[in-house]
Amino acid sequence: MNGNLRRWRPWLGLAVRLGLAVVWFWAGWSKVGDLAASGRAVNAYQVLPYDVAMVVGAALPFVELALALLLLLGLATRLAAGVSAALLLVFIAGIASAWSRGLAIDCGCFGVGGELPAGESPSYLPEILRDIGFLALAGFLLIWPRTAVSADGALAGEPVEDEDE
Amino acid sequence: MSSRKGRKDAARVVREQLAREQRRKRTLWISVGAVLVLVVAGLIGWSVWSSQQSEDFTAPPGANDTGTGIVVGSGPVTIDIYEDYLCPACKQFEQTSGATIEQLINDGKVRVVYHPVAFLNRYSTTDYSTRSSAASGCAAEGGKFTEFGKALFERQPPEGGAGLSDDELIDIGAEVGLDRDAFGSCVRDGKYRSWTKHVTDEAGRAKVTGTPSILVDGEPVREWTPENITAAVEAAGR
Repeated sequence: MNGNLRRWRPWLGLAVRLGLAVVWFWAGWSKVGDLAASGRAVNAYQVLPYDVAMVVGAALPFVELALALLLLLGLATRLAAGVSAALLLVFIAGIASAWSRGLAIDCGCFGVGGELPAGESPSYLPEILRDIGFLALAGFLLIWPRTAVSADGALAGEPVEDEDE
Repeated sequence: MSSRKGRKDAARVVREQLAREQRRKRTLWISVGAVLVLVVAGLIGWSVWSSQQSEDFTAPPGANDTGTGIVVGSGPVTIDIYEDYLCPACKQFEQTSGATIEQLINDGKVRVVYHPVAFLNRYSTTDYSTRSSAASGCAAEGGKFTEFGKALFERQPPEGGAGLSDDELIDIGAEVGLDRDAFGSCVRDGKYRSWTKHVTDEAGRAKVTGTPSILVDGEPVREWTPENITAAVEAAGR
């Protein structure tokens, strides 16, 4: 049973890694076409000064796409997972703070963003739960960064079990 | 015999240590490379965004001093209206409160500043928000900003599609009484696109994050019913 798990973990890890890569790709791709809108989505949280929010909003989609690329290749998996987890924690904190301040915004996680039209209520709880789900994926990779079919594995050139000792 | 085995063991330990050391170094370099990739990605985003910033814009006639909107009316109380011609809630606002706003303008009670922002470019395949807003600048040039805006909301295309084409925008302009040639070339040349960007950026700076946003003397009216707007104007005028 234990041996089985050990044998399957790299493959489970591969699925987790690719899953998280898809999440970041989707998040980055939906925003990269309109960087000003991405900046406005950050600005809608009313946490950062306008100009800083615009720069963060412009940089974020590219960083998300880069994370997707690293995870897709399985390069520096633990680091990519760590950065993912850190970003997700910031996002969760942002949504929670918008919620607690009574703002009515879309999280802007996958495009869109900004203030909601009157009459539409924000869905902060599902957004936070979703991010916690993504956080779990990142956590898995932080603990077990060695996954099947990865650049890390190819570069290390040793059997996967090695790191587990 | 036993000493030879001992030497062998020692050699193996040294080999393993060297291998481990090498692996550590490799991991370090991979990590440094990955961090660089992330940092460079962020810098690319910043520079792409910076290259999209241009300060030059020509505000159409009828704009306010800061060039952030078109002024209609001259009453003592100012209403700022932030709208995107593609936003369904804005159409709804025009339908429920448009007549009230018009009445307030005609009664000389308010000065309305219309800010045609382009927040929703991602909801059309042709940057309809920017095109329609820039066209409204052309309409202001021809003195028909209000009429054109009204017609745009009446014919509002659905979100997610191509929006109205430039030709359709020009037809609408001609219908509300704009000169087809002058208005047409203004729309086609995108004369007021940079103005639209300015209007949109300044709206963000003014903490307007959604459309429609209605402010009466700077105070947001979240529930923009005709009653609430009239009440806010009366309160501000006192």
